[in-house]
Amino acid sequence: MGKQRILVVVEQRENGESDPVTFELLKSARDLSLQGDETVCACIFGSVAAPLADEISYYADEVYLIDEPFLSTFLPDVYASAAAALCRTIAPRTVLMGHSYENREMAPKLACEMENDLITDCVKIERDVETGALLCTKPVYGGNAHAIFQLDAEPQMVTLRPKSTEALEKGSLQGVTIPFRYKLSPSLELPKSLCIVPGAETVSLTQAEAVVAGGRGFKTAESIQQLKRLVEVLRKHFNTVELGASRALVDEGLLPHSRQVGQTGEIVSPQLYIAVAISGAAQHMAGVVGSKRIVAINKDPEASIFEASDYGIVGRHEDIVPALIKQLEAMP
Amino acid sequence: MTPPTIIVCIKDVPDPEAPGSSYEIHSDTKRVVPIGIPPVINPYDQNALELAARLKDRWGGKVIALNMSEKAVAPILKKALAVGADELVLLEDPAFKGLTSHATAQVLSAGIQKLGTFDLIVTGRQAADWDSGQVGLLIAGILKIPGINLVQKVELQDGSITVERLRRNAYEVITASLPALVTVGSEVGDLRLTSLKAIQDARKKPVTIWRSADLDLAPTLLRKRNLRAIIPPPSQARRCLFITGKSIEEKAENLALRLRQDRVI
Repeated sequence: MGKQRILVVVEQRENGESDPVTFELLKSARDLSLQGDETVCACIFGSVAAPLADEISYYADEVYLIDEPFLSTFLPDVYASAAAALCRTIAPRTVLMGHSYENREMAPKLACEMENDLITDCVKIERDVETGALLCTKPVYGGNAHAIFQLDAEPQMVTLRPKSTEALEKGSLQGVTIPFRYKLSPSLELPKSLCIVPGAETVSLTQAEAVVAGGRGFKTAESIQQLKRLVEVLRKHFNTVELGASRALVDEGLLPHSRQVGQTGEIVSPQLYIAVAISGAAQHMAGVVGSKRIVAINKDPEASIFEASDYGIVGRHEDIVPALIKQLEAMP
Repeated sequence: MTPPTIIVCIKDVPDPEAPGSSYEIHSDTKRVVPIGIPPVINPYDQNALELAARLKDRWGGKVIALNMSEKAVAPILKKALAVGADELVLLEDPAFKGLTSHATAQVLSAGIQKLGTFDLIVTGRQAADWDSGQVGLLIAGILKIPGINLVQKVELQDGSITVERLRRNAYEVITASLPALVTVGSEVGDLRLTSLKAIQDARKKPVTIWRSADLDLAPTLLRKRNLRAIIPPPSQARRCLFITGKSIEEKAENLALRLRQDRVI
Protein backbone atom coordinates (compact mmCIF):
# COMPACT_ATOMS: atom_id res chain seq x y z
CA MET A 1 0.00 0.00 0.00
CA GLY A 2 1.31 3.45 -0.88
CA LYS A 3 1.51 6.39 1.42
CA GLN A 4 -1.66 7.91 2.83
CA ARG A 5 -2.73 11.22 1.30
CA ILE A 6 -3.78 14.50 2.86
CA LEU A 7 -5.82 16.64 0.48
CA VAL A 8 -5.93 20.44 0.70
CA VAL A 9 -8.69 22.20 -1.21
CA VAL A 10 -7.06 25.36 -2.56
CA GLU A 11 -9.06 28.42 -1.57
CA GLN A 12 -9.39 30.95 -4.37
CA ARG A 13 -10.21 34.62 -4.42
CA GLU A 14 -12.61 36.12 -6.96
CA ASN A 15 -9.62 37.20 -9.10
CA GLY A 16 -8.41 33.59 -9.39
CA GLU A 17 -5.47 34.00 -7.02
CA SER A 18 -5.19 31.77 -4.02
CA ASP A 19 -6.41 33.06 -0.68
CA PRO A 20 -3.78 33.28 2.10
CA VAL A 21 -5.61 30.54 4.01
CA THR A 22 -4.45 28.07 1.33
CA PHE A 23 -0.88 28.27 2.59
CA GLU A 24 -2.06 27.80 6.18
CA LEU A 25 -3.93 24.68 5.11
CA LEU A 26 -0.79 23.47 3.34
CA LYS A 27 1.23 24.14 6.51
CA SER A 28 -1.24 22.08 8.55
CA ALA A 29 -1.09 19.32 5.95
CA ARG A 30 2.72 19.44 5.93
CA ASP A 31 2.86 19.22 9.74
CA LEU A 32 0.47 16.26 9.72
CA SER A 33 2.43 14.59 6.93
CA LEU A 34 5.64 14.79 8.94
CA GLN A 35 3.91 13.15 11.90
CA GLY A 36 2.48 10.29 9.88
CA ASP A 37 4.69 10.08 6.76
CA GLU A 38 1.90 11.10 4.40
CA THR A 39 1.73 12.72 0.97
CA VAL A 40 0.57 16.35 0.77
CA CYS A 41 -1.92 16.83 -2.07
CA ALA A 42 -3.72 19.95 -3.22
CA CYS A 43 -6.66 20.31 -5.55
CA ILE A 44 -7.61 23.33 -7.63
CA PHE A 45 -10.96 23.86 -9.30
CA GLY A 46 -11.33 26.30 -12.14
CA SER A 47 -10.91 27.04 -15.76
CA VAL A 48 -7.49 28.11 -16.99
CA ALA A 49 -6.10 27.42 -13.52
CA ALA A 50 -2.78 25.96 -14.69
CA PRO A 51 -0.66 28.96 -13.55
CA LEU A 52 -2.10 28.61 -10.08
CA ALA A 53 -1.31 24.88 -10.14
CA ASP A 54 2.32 25.73 -11.00
CA GLU A 55 2.46 28.07 -8.02
CA ILE A 56 0.94 25.53 -5.62
CA SER A 57 3.33 22.81 -6.78
CA TYR A 58 6.04 24.51 -4.69
CA TYR A 59 4.02 23.65 -1.59
CA ALA A 60 2.70 20.13 -2.23
CA ASP A 61 3.73 16.69 -3.48
CA GLU A 62 0.78 16.30 -5.82
CA VAL A 63 -1.43 19.03 -7.29
CA TYR A 64 -4.70 17.85 -8.81
CA LEU A 65 -5.97 20.29 -11.38
CA ILE A 66 -9.66 20.03 -12.18
CA ASP A 67 -9.83 22.45 -15.07
CA GLU A 68 -13.27 22.63 -16.69
CA PRO A 69 -15.22 25.55 -18.18
CA PHE A 70 -18.16 24.93 -15.81
CA LEU A 71 -15.86 25.40 -12.80
CA SER A 72 -15.01 29.00 -13.69
CA THR A 73 -17.46 30.36 -11.11
CA PHE A 74 -18.08 28.98 -7.66
CA LEU A 75 -21.08 26.66 -7.54
CA PRO A 76 -21.03 24.82 -4.22
CA ASP A 77 -22.92 21.76 -5.46
CA VAL A 78 -20.67 21.33 -8.50
CA TYR A 79 -17.47 21.94 -6.52
CA ALA A 80 -18.60 19.45 -3.86
CA SER A 81 -19.36 16.81 -6.49
CA ALA A 82 -16.01 17.39 -8.17
CA ALA A 83 -14.21 17.14 -4.82
CA ALA A 84 -16.14 13.96 -4.01
CA ALA A 85 -15.15 12.45 -7.37
CA LEU A 86 -11.51 13.21 -6.63
CA CYS A 87 -11.83 11.76 -3.11
CA ARG A 88 -13.27 8.55 -4.49
CA THR A 89 -10.31 8.29 -6.87
CA ILE A 90 -7.34 9.19 -4.69
CA ALA A 91 -8.87 8.12 -1.34
CA PRO A 92 -7.32 10.73 0.94
CA ARG A 93 -7.17 9.97 4.63
CA THR A 94 -7.77 13.63 5.48
CA VAL A 95 -9.33 16.58 3.62
CA LEU A 96 -8.53 20.15 4.74
CA MET A 97 -10.60 23.14 3.64
CA GLY A 98 -10.65 26.81 4.67
CA HIS A 99 -13.58 27.98 6.79
CA SER A 100 -14.70 30.53 4.19
CA TYR A 101 -18.15 31.69 3.08
CA GLU A 102 -17.86 29.34 0.14
CA ASN A 103 -16.82 26.27 2.12
CA ARG A 104 -19.48 26.79 4.76
CA GLU A 105 -21.72 25.54 1.97
CA MET A 106 -19.38 23.37 -0.06
CA ALA A 107 -17.87 21.36 2.83
CA PRO A 108 -21.15 20.01 4.27
CA LYS A 109 -22.21 19.06 0.74
CA LEU A 110 -18.96 17.18 0.27
CA ALA A 111 -19.46 15.50 3.67
CA CYS A 112 -22.95 14.46 2.60
CA GLU A 113 -21.67 12.94 -0.64
CA MET A 114 -18.96 11.08 1.24
CA GLU A 115 -21.49 10.05 3.95
CA ASN A 116 -18.95 10.89 6.60
CA ASP A 117 -18.37 13.38 9.40
CA LEU A 118 -17.05 16.89 8.99
CA ILE A 119 -15.78 19.14 11.77
CA THR A 120 -16.08 22.82 10.90
CA ASP A 121 -14.17 25.90 12.03
CA CYS A 122 -11.24 24.09 13.66
CA VAL A 123 -8.34 26.03 15.17
CA LYS A 124 -5.97 23.08 15.56
CA ILE A 125 -5.61 19.60 14.08
CA GLU A 126 -3.29 16.80 15.13
CA ARG A 127 -2.72 13.22 14.12
CA ASP A 128 -2.98 10.41 16.64
CA VAL A 129 -0.04 8.54 15.16
CA GLU A 130 -0.97 5.23 16.78
CA THR A 131 -4.51 5.01 15.43
CA GLY A 132 -4.36 7.41 12.48
CA ALA A 133 -7.31 9.34 13.94
CA LEU A 134 -7.50 13.08 13.41
CA LEU A 135 -7.95 15.21 16.53
CA CYS A 136 -9.76 18.43 15.73
CA THR A 137 -9.94 21.31 18.19
CA LYS A 138 -12.91 23.57 17.60
CA PRO A 139 -14.33 26.49 19.59
CA VAL A 140 -17.87 25.77 20.81
CA TYR A 141 -20.46 27.75 22.77
CA GLY A 142 -19.43 30.95 21.03
CA GLY A 143 -15.78 30.34 21.91
CA ASN A 144 -16.42 29.89 25.62
CA ALA A 145 -15.05 26.34 25.43
CA HIS A 146 -12.97 24.25 23.06
CA ALA A 147 -14.02 20.75 22.04
CA ILE A 148 -11.57 18.16 20.73
CA PHE A 149 -13.30 15.82 18.30
CA GLN A 150 -11.82 12.58 17.11
CA LEU A 151 -12.36 11.60 13.49
CA ASP A 152 -11.61 7.97 12.64
CA ALA A 153 -13.38 7.03 9.43
CA GLU A 154 -11.88 8.29 6.19
CA PRO A 155 -11.94 10.75 4.65
CA GLN A 156 -11.56 12.83 7.78
CA MET A 157 -12.94 16.22 6.73
CA VAL A 158 -12.34 19.55 8.44
CA THR A 159 -12.60 23.23 7.72
CA LEU A 160 -9.87 25.30 9.33
CA ARG A 161 -10.36 28.82 10.68
CA PRO A 162 -8.12 31.34 8.88
CA LYS A 163 -5.01 32.51 10.75
CA SER A 164 -4.97 29.47 13.03
CA THR A 165 -1.47 28.61 11.90
CA GLU A 166 1.34 30.25 9.94
CA ALA A 167 1.74 29.88 6.20
CA LEU A 168 3.90 27.20 4.60
CA GLU A 169 7.07 28.52 3.00
CA LYS A 170 7.44 28.35 -0.74
CA GLY A 171 9.69 25.53 -1.85
CA SER A 172 8.90 23.37 1.18
CA LEU A 173 7.89 20.73 -1.32
CA GLN A 174 8.25 20.31 -5.07
CA GLY A 175 5.35 18.44 -6.53
CA VAL A 176 3.81 17.42 -9.80
CA THR A 177 0.60 18.65 -11.39
CA ILE A 178 -1.88 15.92 -12.23
CA PRO A 179 -4.91 16.76 -14.39
CA PHE A 180 -8.15 15.23 -13.12
CA ARG A 181 -11.17 15.01 -15.40
CA TYR A 182 -14.59 15.53 -13.91
CA LYS A 183 -17.78 15.24 -15.90
CA LEU A 184 -20.86 17.08 -14.73
CA SER A 185 -23.67 14.64 -14.18
CA PRO A 186 -26.59 15.85 -16.33
CA SER A 187 -29.10 14.34 -13.90
CA LEU A 188 -28.13 16.83 -11.21
CA GLU A 189 -30.83 19.44 -10.82
CA LEU A 190 -28.86 22.31 -9.40
CA PRO A 191 -29.65 25.78 -8.14
CA LYS A 192 -28.86 28.33 -10.84
CA SER A 193 -26.90 31.49 -10.24
CA LEU A 194 -28.63 34.46 -11.88
CA CYS A 195 -26.20 37.21 -10.94
CA ILE A 196 -23.78 38.43 -8.30
CA VAL A 197 -24.51 41.84 -6.82
CA PRO A 198 -21.35 43.35 -5.36
CA GLY A 199 -21.51 45.16 -2.03
CA ALA A 200 -21.73 48.95 -2.12
CA GLU A 201 -18.08 49.09 -1.10
CA THR A 202 -15.23 46.59 -1.12
CA VAL A 203 -14.14 45.50 2.32
CA SER A 204 -10.85 43.78 3.05
CA LEU A 205 -10.74 43.32 6.79
CA THR A 206 -8.50 40.27 6.80
CA GLN A 207 -5.60 42.11 5.14
CA ALA A 208 -6.01 45.46 6.94
CA GLU A 209 -3.08 46.89 8.93
CA ALA A 210 -5.43 48.77 11.22
CA VAL A 211 -9.08 48.16 12.09
CA VAL A 212 -11.49 50.47 13.90
CA ALA A 213 -14.54 48.55 15.06
CA GLY A 214 -17.76 49.72 16.64
CA GLY A 215 -20.19 47.85 18.86
CA ARG A 216 -23.50 48.03 20.58
CA GLY A 217 -22.74 51.52 21.92
CA PHE A 218 -23.52 52.97 18.48
CA LYS A 219 -27.21 53.52 17.88
CA THR A 220 -27.44 55.60 14.72
CA ALA A 221 -25.87 55.85 11.29
CA GLU A 222 -24.72 59.38 12.18
CA SER A 223 -22.75 58.19 15.18
CA ILE A 224 -20.84 55.81 12.93
CA GLN A 225 -19.57 58.78 10.89
CA GLN A 226 -17.25 59.47 13.79
CA LEU A 227 -15.67 56.03 13.42
CA LYS A 228 -15.27 56.59 9.69
CA ARG A 229 -13.38 59.80 10.45
CA LEU A 230 -11.07 57.84 12.76
CA VAL A 231 -10.49 55.35 9.92
CA GLU A 232 -9.64 58.27 7.59
CA VAL A 233 -7.11 59.83 9.92
CA LEU A 234 -5.43 56.47 10.57
CA ARG A 235 -4.75 56.24 6.82
CA LYS A 236 -1.99 58.76 7.51
CA HIS A 237 -0.22 56.10 9.54
CA PHE A 238 -1.20 52.82 7.85
CA ASN A 239 -1.50 51.67 4.24
CA THR A 240 -4.77 49.84 4.76
CA VAL A 241 -7.36 50.71 7.37
CA GLU A 242 -10.84 49.21 7.56
CA LEU A 243 -13.99 49.85 9.52
CA GLY A 244 -15.22 46.79 11.40
CA ALA A 245 -18.22 45.96 13.55
CA SER A 246 -19.38 43.63 16.26
CA ARG A 247 -22.29 41.31 15.51
CA ALA A 248 -24.66 43.58 17.44
CA LEU A 249 -24.00 46.49 15.09
CA VAL A 250 -24.46 44.34 11.99
CA ASP A 251 -27.67 42.84 13.39
CA GLU A 252 -28.97 46.38 13.87
CA GLY A 253 -28.39 46.92 10.16
CA LEU A 254 -26.02 49.83 10.77
CA LEU A 255 -23.11 48.20 8.90
CA PRO A 256 -23.03 45.39 6.29
CA HIS A 257 -22.18 41.79 7.22
CA SER A 258 -18.91 42.08 5.30
CA ARG A 259 -17.65 44.31 8.12
CA GLN A 260 -18.43 41.88 10.93
CA VAL A 261 -15.44 40.75 12.97
CA GLY A 262 -15.58 37.55 14.99
CA GLN A 263 -16.55 33.92 14.86
CA THR A 264 -19.30 34.30 12.25
CA GLY A 265 -17.53 37.16 10.48
CA GLU A 266 -13.94 37.87 9.59
CA ILE A 267 -10.78 36.90 11.47
CA VAL A 268 -8.45 39.94 11.50
CA SER A 269 -4.82 40.33 12.52
CA PRO A 270 -3.92 44.01 12.17
CA GLN A 271 -1.10 45.96 13.79
CA LEU A 272 -3.73 47.99 15.59
CA TYR A 273 -7.30 47.08 16.54
CA ILE A 274 -9.39 49.81 18.12
CA ALA A 275 -12.57 48.45 19.68
CA VAL A 276 -15.05 51.24 20.37
CA ALA A 277 -18.08 50.53 22.58
CA ILE A 278 -17.64 46.77 22.15
CA SER A 279 -18.27 44.68 25.26
CA GLY A 280 -15.90 41.87 24.27
CA ALA A 281 -18.00 38.70 23.91
CA ALA A 282 -15.96 35.55 23.24
CA GLN A 283 -17.40 35.21 19.72
CA HIS A 284 -16.10 38.70 18.88
CA MET A 285 -12.69 38.31 20.53
CA ALA A 286 -12.19 35.07 18.57
CA GLY A 287 -11.77 37.30 15.53
CA VAL A 288 -9.13 39.67 16.93
CA VAL A 289 -6.67 37.58 18.97
CA GLY A 290 -4.03 37.89 16.25
CA SER A 291 -3.92 41.70 16.54
CA LYS A 292 -0.57 43.20 17.60
CA ARG A 293 -2.09 45.93 19.76
CA ILE A 294 -5.68 46.10 20.94
CA VAL A 295 -7.12 49.38 22.21
CA ALA A 296 -10.50 49.39 23.95
CA ILE A 297 -12.69 52.43 24.43
CA ASN A 298 -15.70 51.73 26.61
CA LYS A 299 -17.71 53.63 29.17
CA ASP A 300 -18.09 50.54 31.37
CA PRO A 301 -14.86 49.95 33.33
CA GLU A 302 -16.02 46.37 33.98
CA ALA A 303 -16.45 45.50 30.29
CA SER A 304 -14.67 42.22 29.52
CA ILE A 305 -13.02 43.79 26.46
CA PHE A 306 -10.46 45.42 28.76
CA GLU A 307 -9.19 42.02 29.93
CA ALA A 308 -8.20 41.23 26.35
CA SER A 309 -6.76 44.66 25.48
CA ASP A 310 -3.33 46.27 25.69
CA TYR A 311 -4.64 49.78 26.27
CA GLY A 312 -7.94 50.93 27.63
CA ILE A 313 -9.70 54.24 27.97
CA VAL A 314 -12.79 54.37 30.13
CA GLY A 315 -15.25 56.94 28.86
CA ARG A 316 -17.92 57.87 26.36
CA HIS A 317 -16.89 57.20 22.78
CA GLU A 318 -18.66 60.43 21.77
CA ASP A 319 -15.99 62.31 23.72
CA ILE A 320 -12.93 60.15 23.26
CA VAL A 321 -13.03 59.36 19.55
CA PRO A 322 -13.06 63.04 18.44
CA ALA A 323 -10.19 63.79 20.82
CA LEU A 324 -8.24 60.85 19.41
CA ILE A 325 -8.92 62.00 15.84
CA LYS A 326 -7.56 65.44 16.67
CA GLN A 327 -4.49 63.95 18.28
CA LEU A 328 -3.73 61.62 15.37
CA GLU A 329 -4.25 64.46 12.89
CA ALA A 330 -1.70 66.58 14.71
CA MET A 331 0.87 63.79 14.85
CA PRO A 332 3.44 63.76 12.08
CA MET B 1 -48.47 31.00 -5.18
CA THR B 2 -50.36 28.02 -3.79
CA PRO B 3 -50.31 28.29 0.02
CA PRO B 4 -46.99 26.64 0.94
CA THR B 5 -46.06 24.19 3.67
CA ILE B 6 -42.91 25.37 5.41
CA ILE B 7 -40.89 23.32 7.90
CA VAL B 8 -38.61 25.16 10.34
CA CYS B 9 -35.99 23.19 12.26
CA ILE B 10 -35.41 24.63 15.72
CA LYS B 11 -33.42 23.74 18.80
CA ASP B 12 -32.91 25.24 22.22
CA VAL B 13 -29.52 26.54 23.38
CA PRO B 14 -28.27 28.37 26.47
CA ASP B 15 -28.79 32.09 25.79
CA PRO B 16 -25.65 33.00 23.83
CA GLU B 17 -25.89 36.60 25.04
CA ALA B 18 -24.89 35.40 28.53
CA PRO B 19 -21.42 36.37 29.78
CA GLY B 20 -18.62 33.88 29.24
CA SER B 21 -18.26 33.33 32.98
CA SER B 22 -21.60 31.50 33.02
CA TYR B 23 -20.19 28.49 31.18
CA GLU B 24 -18.66 25.83 33.41
CA ILE B 25 -16.41 23.36 31.72
CA HIS B 26 -16.70 19.85 33.15
CA SER B 27 -13.67 18.09 31.72
CA ASP B 28 -14.47 14.80 33.45
CA THR B 29 -17.91 14.42 31.87
CA LYS B 30 -16.84 16.31 28.71
CA ARG B 31 -19.68 18.76 29.04
CA VAL B 32 -20.18 22.50 28.97
CA VAL B 33 -22.63 23.35 31.72
CA PRO B 34 -24.35 26.72 31.55
CA ILE B 35 -24.96 28.14 35.01
CA GLY B 36 -28.00 30.31 35.49
CA ILE B 37 -28.52 30.86 31.76
CA PRO B 38 -32.08 30.36 30.56
CA PRO B 39 -32.50 28.26 27.43
CA VAL B 40 -33.76 30.09 24.35
CA ILE B 41 -34.62 29.04 20.83
CA ASN B 42 -31.30 29.25 18.98
CA PRO B 43 -31.15 32.87 17.70
CA TYR B 44 -30.60 31.90 14.06
CA ASP B 45 -33.55 29.47 14.33
CA GLN B 46 -35.59 32.44 15.58
CA ASN B 47 -34.63 34.20 12.33
CA ALA B 48 -35.76 31.08 10.47
CA LEU B 49 -39.13 31.20 12.25
CA GLU B 50 -39.49 34.88 11.36
CA LEU B 51 -38.84 34.18 7.69
CA ALA B 52 -41.42 31.38 7.72
CA ALA B 53 -43.96 33.59 9.50
CA ARG B 54 -43.48 36.35 6.90
CA LEU B 55 -43.95 33.91 4.04
CA LYS B 56 -47.10 32.66 5.74
CA ASP B 57 -48.33 36.26 6.21
CA ARG B 58 -47.99 36.71 2.47
CA TRP B 59 -49.04 33.38 1.02
CA GLY B 60 -50.99 31.62 3.74
CA GLY B 61 -50.26 27.95 4.12
CA LYS B 62 -48.80 26.15 7.08
CA VAL B 63 -45.66 26.35 9.21
CA ILE B 64 -44.42 23.29 11.09
CA ALA B 65 -41.69 23.63 13.72
CA LEU B 66 -39.51 20.55 14.09
CA ASN B 67 -37.09 19.71 16.89
CA MET B 68 -34.85 16.75 17.69
CA SER B 69 -33.51 16.02 21.15
CA GLU B 70 -32.95 13.35 23.78
CA LYS B 71 -35.42 15.24 25.98
CA ALA B 72 -37.33 18.19 24.55
CA VAL B 73 -37.43 21.51 26.36
CA ALA B 74 -41.06 21.90 25.34
CA PRO B 75 -41.90 25.17 27.17
CA ILE B 76 -39.17 26.98 25.24
CA LEU B 77 -39.89 25.32 21.89
CA LYS B 78 -43.63 26.05 22.20
CA LYS B 79 -42.80 29.71 21.71
CA ALA B 80 -42.66 28.81 18.01
CA LEU B 81 -46.44 28.22 18.15
CA ALA B 82 -47.00 31.74 19.46
CA VAL B 83 -45.08 33.37 16.61
CA GLY B 84 -46.74 31.73 13.64
CA ALA B 85 -46.03 28.00 13.63
CA ASP B 86 -49.19 25.90 13.32
CA GLU B 87 -47.81 22.76 14.87
CA LEU B 88 -44.77 21.58 16.78
CA VAL B 89 -43.25 18.17 16.15
CA LEU B 90 -40.76 16.83 18.69
CA LEU B 91 -38.46 13.99 17.67
CA GLU B 92 -37.57 12.89 21.15
CA ASP B 93 -35.65 9.80 22.20
CA PRO B 94 -32.75 9.03 24.55
CA ALA B 95 -31.08 7.43 21.52
CA PHE B 96 -30.80 10.93 19.99
CA LYS B 97 -28.26 12.02 22.61
CA GLY B 98 -24.89 13.34 21.44
CA LEU B 99 -25.35 12.60 17.73
CA THR B 100 -22.97 13.77 15.02
CA SER B 101 -24.21 16.49 12.68
CA HIS B 102 -24.76 13.88 10.00
CA ALA B 103 -26.80 11.63 12.30
CA THR B 104 -28.82 14.63 13.52
CA ALA B 105 -29.62 15.45 9.91
CA GLN B 106 -30.63 11.80 9.32
CA VAL B 107 -33.14 11.92 12.20
CA LEU B 108 -34.56 15.29 11.15
CA SER B 109 -34.83 14.06 7.55
CA ALA B 110 -36.72 10.97 8.72
CA GLY B 111 -39.10 13.25 10.63
CA ILE B 112 -39.58 15.46 7.58
CA GLN B 113 -40.31 12.45 5.38
CA LYS B 114 -42.93 11.27 7.88
CA LEU B 115 -44.55 14.72 7.78
CA GLY B 116 -45.25 14.28 4.08
CA THR B 117 -45.13 16.84 1.33
CA PHE B 118 -43.69 20.30 1.89
CA ASP B 119 -42.41 23.23 -0.14
CA LEU B 120 -39.62 24.77 1.89
CA ILE B 121 -37.40 23.92 4.85
CA VAL B 122 -35.77 26.79 6.75
CA THR B 123 -33.00 26.29 9.32
CA GLY B 124 -30.69 28.63 11.20
CA ARG B 125 -27.20 28.88 9.73
CA GLN B 126 -25.68 27.33 12.88
CA ALA B 127 -26.59 26.61 16.49
CA ALA B 128 -25.01 28.62 19.28
CA ASP B 129 -23.89 25.52 21.22
CA TRP B 130 -21.76 23.40 18.85
CA ASP B 131 -21.49 26.06 16.11
CA SER B 132 -21.25 23.33 13.52
CA GLY B 133 -23.29 24.97 10.76
CA GLN B 134 -23.97 21.92 8.66
CA VAL B 135 -27.18 20.17 9.73
CA GLY B 136 -29.41 22.20 7.39
CA LEU B 137 -27.33 21.52 4.29
CA LEU B 138 -26.98 17.85 5.26
CA ILE B 139 -30.78 17.55 5.45
CA ALA B 140 -31.00 18.93 1.92
CA GLY B 141 -28.38 16.44 0.81
CA ILE B 142 -30.15 13.49 2.43
CA LEU B 143 -33.55 14.50 1.02
CA LYS B 144 -31.90 15.23 -2.36
CA ILE B 145 -33.39 18.71 -2.64
CA PRO B 146 -31.57 21.98 -3.39
CA GLY B 147 -29.90 23.43 -0.27
CA ILE B 148 -28.74 27.05 -0.23
CA ASN B 149 -26.69 28.47 2.62
CA LEU B 150 -26.70 31.94 4.24
CA VAL B 151 -29.74 33.33 2.53
CA GLN B 152 -30.81 36.91 3.27
CA LYS B 153 -33.95 37.15 1.13
CA VAL B 154 -36.48 34.66 -0.23
CA GLU B 155 -39.11 34.96 -2.96
CA LEU B 156 -41.45 32.03 -3.49
CA GLN B 157 -43.08 31.21 -6.81
CA ASP B 158 -45.08 28.15 -7.76
CA GLY B 159 -42.52 25.39 -8.06
CA SER B 160 -39.47 27.58 -7.59
CA ILE B 161 -37.64 29.85 -5.21
CA THR B 162 -35.40 32.84 -5.81
CA VAL B 163 -33.02 33.81 -3.02
CA GLU B 164 -30.15 36.13 -2.23
CA ARG B 165 -27.18 34.19 -0.90
CA LEU B 166 -24.53 36.05 1.07
CA ARG B 167 -21.01 36.14 -0.31
CA ARG B 168 -18.07 37.75 1.46
CA ASN B 169 -18.40 41.12 -0.29
CA ALA B 170 -21.57 40.64 -2.25
CA TYR B 171 -24.72 38.66 -2.58
CA GLU B 172 -25.69 36.24 -5.31
CA VAL B 173 -29.17 35.83 -6.74
CA ILE B 174 -29.98 32.15 -7.08
CA THR B 175 -33.00 30.27 -8.27
CA ALA B 176 -33.85 26.66 -7.47
CA SER B 177 -36.77 24.29 -7.78
CA LEU B 178 -39.11 23.53 -4.88
CA PRO B 179 -39.06 21.79 -2.51
CA ALA B 180 -35.83 23.35 -1.28
CA LEU B 181 -33.96 24.17 1.91
CA VAL B 182 -32.41 27.47 2.92
CA THR B 183 -30.34 28.39 5.96
CA VAL B 184 -30.60 31.89 7.37
CA GLY B 185 -28.96 34.28 9.83
CA SER B 186 -29.88 37.59 11.36
CA GLU B 187 -30.12 39.23 7.91
CA VAL B 188 -33.69 37.98 7.46
CA GLY B 189 -34.87 39.91 10.51
CA ASP B 190 -35.60 39.55 14.21
CA LEU B 191 -38.36 37.27 15.41
CA ARG B 192 -41.60 39.17 15.93
CA LEU B 193 -42.97 39.88 19.37
CA THR B 194 -45.86 37.78 20.45
CA SER B 195 -49.17 38.91 21.90
CA LEU B 196 -51.08 37.55 24.86
CA LYS B 197 -53.76 36.33 22.47
CA ALA B 198 -51.19 34.55 20.31
CA ILE B 199 -49.83 32.81 23.39
CA GLN B 200 -53.34 31.72 24.36
CA ASP B 201 -54.09 30.51 20.84
CA ALA B 202 -50.81 28.61 20.82
CA ARG B 203 -52.08 26.40 23.64
CA LYS B 204 -54.66 24.93 21.28
CA LYS B 205 -52.13 24.07 18.60
CA PRO B 206 -50.99 20.46 18.27
CA VAL B 207 -47.72 19.16 19.68
CA THR B 208 -46.70 15.76 18.31
CA ILE B 209 -44.01 13.53 19.78
CA TRP B 210 -42.32 10.86 17.69
CA ARG B 211 -39.79 8.39 19.08
CA SER B 212 -36.99 6.71 17.21
CA ALA B 213 -39.25 3.70 16.59
CA ASP B 214 -41.85 5.94 14.92
CA LEU B 215 -39.31 6.96 12.29
CA ASP B 216 -37.84 5.06 9.39
CA LEU B 217 -34.33 5.01 10.87
CA ALA B 218 -31.69 2.31 10.81
CA PRO B 219 -30.05 2.19 14.26
CA THR B 220 -26.63 2.29 12.60
CA LEU B 221 -27.41 5.80 11.38
CA LEU B 222 -27.41 7.12 14.94
CA ARG B 223 -23.66 7.81 15.12
CA LYS B 224 -22.47 9.56 18.28
CA ARG B 225 -19.98 12.38 18.11
CA ASN B 226 -16.58 11.18 19.26
CA LEU B 227 -15.54 13.79 21.77
CA ARG B 228 -12.02 13.39 23.15
CA ALA B 229 -12.12 16.35 25.50
CA ILE B 230 -13.74 19.62 26.42
CA ILE B 231 -11.20 22.20 27.53
CA PRO B 232 -11.28 25.86 28.49
CA PRO B 233 -10.44 28.19 25.60
CA PRO B 234 -6.85 29.45 25.60
CA SER B 235 -6.53 32.65 27.57
CA GLN B 236 -6.81 35.78 25.49
CA ALA B 237 -5.87 37.93 28.45
CA ARG B 238 -3.56 40.86 27.88
CA ARG B 239 -2.32 43.18 30.55
CA CYS B 240 -4.47 46.23 30.00
CA LEU B 241 -2.87 49.55 30.73
CA PHE B 242 -5.62 52.02 31.48
CA ILE B 243 -4.73 55.36 29.93
CA THR B 244 -5.25 58.20 32.36
CA GLY B 245 -5.16 61.96 32.01
CA LYS B 246 -6.62 65.12 33.51
CA SER B 247 -8.79 65.71 30.48
CA ILE B 248 -10.15 63.74 27.54
CA GLU B 249 -7.59 65.49 25.33
CA GLU B 250 -4.79 64.39 27.61
CA LYS B 251 -6.02 60.80 27.60
CA ALA B 252 -6.14 60.80 23.82
CA GLU B 253 -2.65 62.26 23.68
CA ASN B 254 -1.29 59.70 26.13
CA LEU B 255 -2.79 56.86 24.09
CA ALA B 256 -1.29 58.21 20.88
CA LEU B 257 2.09 58.56 22.55
CA ARG B 258 1.95 54.99 23.81
CA LEU B 259 1.18 53.71 20.33
CA ARG B 260 4.05 55.78 18.96
CA GLN B 261 6.37 54.32 21.61
CA ASP B 262 5.29 50.85 20.53
CA ARG B 263 6.03 51.87 16.91
CA VAL B 264 2.49 50.98 15.93
CA ILE B 265 1.83 54.45 14.50
